[in-house]
Amino acid sequence: MNQKADVVVIGGGVIGTAITFYLSQRGQKVILIEKNDLASGASGACDQDIILQSKNPGIHLQLALASSQMYKTLEKELDYDIEYENTGGMILIETPEELKIMEDFVNRQKALGLQVEILNYKEALRYQRGLSNHLVGSTYSPQDAHVNPIRLNLGFAQAARRYGAEILLETEITKIKVKNNQIEGLETNRGTIYTPVIINAAGAWAPSIGRMIGLKIPIKPRRGQIVITEPVPPFVMGDVLSARYIVAKYNPELYNNSESAAVKLGVGLSLSQTRKGNILIGATREFAGYDITNTRTGIKEILKNATRLIPELKEMNIIRAIAGLRPYTPDGLPLLGPVNGLNGFYLAAGHEGDGIALAPITGKIIADLITDGKTFMDVTALSPNRFLM
Amino acid sequence: MKEIQIAVIGAGPAGLAAAIELAKAQGNVTLFDENTKPGGQLFKQIHKFFGSSEHLAGTRGYNIGKQLLRETEKLGVNVILDAPVYAIYPDKTISYSHQNREQAIKAEKIILATGATENALAFPGSTLPGVMGAGAAQTMINVHRVLPGKKVLMIGSGNVGLIVSYQLLQAGADVVALIEAAPQIGGYGVHAAKIRRAGVPIYISHTIQKVMGKNEVVAAQIVQLDDNRQPIPGSEKILEVDTVCMAVGLSPLTELAWLMGCEFAYIPQLGGHIPKHNHNMETTVSGLYVAGDITGVEEASTAMEEGRLAGIACAQALGLYDQEKAHTLKKEIWNRLNTLRTGPFGKIRKFAKDELLKISREGTA
Repeated sequence: MNQKADVVVIGGGVIGTAITFYLSQRGQKVILIEKNDLASGASGACDQDIILQSKNPGIHLQLALASSQMYKTLEKELDYDIEYENTGGMILIETPEELKIMEDFVNRQKALGLQVEILNYKEALRYQRGLSNHLVGSTYSPQDAHVNPIRLNLGFAQAARRYGAEILLETEITKIKVKNNQIEGLETNRGTIYTPVIINAAGAWAPSIGRMIGLKIPIKPRRGQIVITEPVPPFVMGDVLSARYIVAKYNPELYNNSESAAVKLGVGLSLSQTRKGNILIGATREFAGYDITNTRTGIKEILKNATRLIPELKEMNIIRAIAGLRPYTPDGLPLLGPVNGLNGFYLAAGHEGDGIALAPITGKIIADLITDGKTFMDVTALSPNRFLM
Repeated sequence: MKEIQIAVIGAGPAGLAAAIELAKAQGNVTLFDENTKPGGQLFKQIHKFFGSSEHLAGTRGYNIGKQLLRETEKLGVNVILDAPVYAIYPDKTISYSHQNREQAIKAEKIILATGATENALAFPGSTLPGVMGAGAAQTMINVHRVLPGKKVLMIGSGNVGLIVSYQLLQAGADVVALIEAAPQIGGYGVHAAKIRRAGVPIYISHTIQKVMGKNEVVAAQIVQLDDNRQPIPGSEKILEVDTVCMAVGLSPLTELAWLMGCEFAYIPQLGGHIPKHNHNMETTVSGLYVAGDITGVEEASTAMEEGRLAGIACAQALGLYDQEKAHTLKKEIWNRLNTLRTGPFGKIRKFAKDELLKISREGTA
């Protein structure tokens, strides 16, 4: 079966479906190709945070702020309950050293327009009960929010279909057709699709798509394990992270020499509660290839870390554990935009742990770039060519 | 971490039999069960078993249980009770909850004998207190000596529905009716005759529509079904009951096998998705064996034989038995299993089991 499309999007996660939605909304004929099912990768095995505070002040935070604006009206636009909630969030601070780093972090974030402040231990307790008394304090931002990532993924897909997009599940790409450095189409196990534009939104699997046309995409799968409790009455205030996560992400040298299992696994607290009441306790950040099994050490270290910060969590029963592969990039920024020397080939991958927060803005930027050739902000820093030159 | 030779998970008939065989072969075996007492379903089975004498026919279930426990004690099997196993990792590390904390042990070989769980029906009122599995009611009367209610509606006429109805009568309850959606009784005629003689009406081609009550069951509405199993309007009947028991089949408890990455086959006659396994009861994961209802819902007698089989095959794999000895022992068991899987019900199971072995061999689902 041969088909034609204006754009083919590869990957049925939140990023791929968001791009498909925004492009279809503008009248583009889009076909999305997914080798398994919607939300079958990282988008179906992650936490639910739309957290702004964790973003490095700079282009990363700018993206997140723009995305969070879009979230406010997204539910209406998609006409789908994505369980969006503007809950606020906090980052728990354990030591004076962390406090120092966070104070600087917060000041730089404020300069970019984020509403965020530092709270002492007593003030922090007003937002989140049960905090361990060894804490120094926390940050707090009323702008943090969360969303059900699977519903977000399905909502984007359903709304895109309403605008005429076609979504091909269980479809595997066997070949990408290129002629004179111009994308011509691709071959799948279900037939050939002719298209001048392909967007690689395959997340941690983006490199395998790149290899088909000789591109070396520097994305690596980074496993994030998450433990899930039974549904309990409201307990978590919103998104609760630990400064250790931020410090480990942006100042890794502070922990580099540590031999502890938690540090080796990149364990940092990420806590939130679903509408149903289940608490998601995360997470590890570890390189383990494409293995998505949970490990005993991973689960144990996540729980040790969480109960150290909020001892009351010990009273809750665990019902399952999940693991997803976050697409890691060497500089922590996603790869967004066209690839030089290969007309029609775009990348929209490498969001690591920020895919949910950045899905709407990624969809918009890519749609802008394809339909208008430009977007509302300077995204040269995100260009995939910074690695592919 | 503590390392052991063999872990058997589930101390029901299959697990006990497997552990006994392994202990007989001088294996170092540890048996885990989530309950505070071993024996699985055997201790609530106060009825006599069918079959020939070598299958302990004529013996009551709980006496078979006692016999198996005596043997495990005599052979020095290490039994850890009150220890639900909730994870097995790829390197065969077993996580279990015991004495209020997570504990872990690493085993060279694992036998899963986790059994099956009761199916439930969903209908308006099905979440009211008083609606329960027939097995739950059986545990209440035969193990805990508590009557779940006074006026019972039983749904399902398989052997579980028939036997539990009779035992509820013996325990002093009134079984108001037994309903069956199929146009014929599912279980053995002798069991049906027993409850009929006691005056329990059996309505075939009937199903439940709803259960009434605010905080507990006060009545149930049943309806007759036509040849296409559709409700016949006007045939509704309201029965005054305080308890509704569901005996609508069992499903193998396969979570641990999924977790280990076993390949599965879908065999509806055996209760759904079943881990593929060979004649040695070994799954597609090397060193991981299955026995009993996890390999397809059958009876305690076949579960014990499968447990022995898995135990012997496991002992052989560990070099505790030589080829010849193991072969002889396994052959005896297969002969007994084939005898047990005869008769109108057994034949269907034998066919399904053969199909499962065939699929497992061919490697396709």
